[in-house]
Amino acid sequence: MVLALMLVSVSPLLFASDRGELAPEFTLPLLASDDSQSLSDHRGHWVYVDFWASWCGPCRKSLPVYEALYQELAASNFRILAINLDEFEQDATRFLADHPVSYTVLWDPAGLTPATWQVQAMPTSFLLNTEGQIVQKWAGFELSHIEEIRNAMVQHQQP
Amino acid sequence: MQWFSISSPDRRLTFALVTMGACFLSACAPVQPWERGRLAQPGMALEADALLAAMDEHVYTSKEAASGSIQPAGGGCGCN
Repeated sequence: MVLALMLVSVSPLLFASDRGELAPEFTLPLLASDDSQSLSDHRGHWVYVDFWASWCGPCRKSLPVYEALYQELAASNFRILAINLDEFEQDATRFLADHPVSYTVLWDPAGLTPATWQVQAMPTSFLLNTEGQIVQKWAGFELSHIEEIRNAMVQHQQP
Repeated sequence: MQWFSISSPDRRLTFALVTMGACFLSACAPVQPWERGRLAQPGMALEADALLAAMDEHVYTSKEAASGSIQPAGGGCGCN
């Protein structure tokens, strides 16, 4: 009985992912590759972390928009790290064949990063400043997020 | 406190059922937003083909000559 009650009451361990806090570190394999990347590899850049999956409806809309933003800001200090959460890698690669992107796509089939980043919806995205702190968090996707990303970057770059 | 002395067969049975129920409850876990891949598969849909289901409903309601006849009666008029 005690064991059963313990199992019911145990909630997943969550870590802070609020504005101003340092984003939790991760090291993940690149999708369809043997290489891996860490978040700290991108320190010194503005990083947009996007959690997505092939079965997520809004992601069909968001990925092409993020690709356009990435192309637009390619010359600036801006990077996108898309973390795919599909259980099967081929689901993600098939999706990307229809919606190709040139930014970094990482793969986390175990879903460890979304737990530590407190993802509450699909897709969820975070904008990190050059120090790796969370500047803004978005649950879901709307076209207005793109303007908010630009504004956040401009506001935080001003002295 | 006397209740906890599980000597009678009825109480033993109740205790066993409650324990078993609690064990089954432990299998209930919230599905996280990123864990819904399998639930999103077409095979998990109540209707495999939404368009076909809508067409079937249209044909059925036309034959019944009553819109909404595919659903349980609930108007409260007592006519169904």
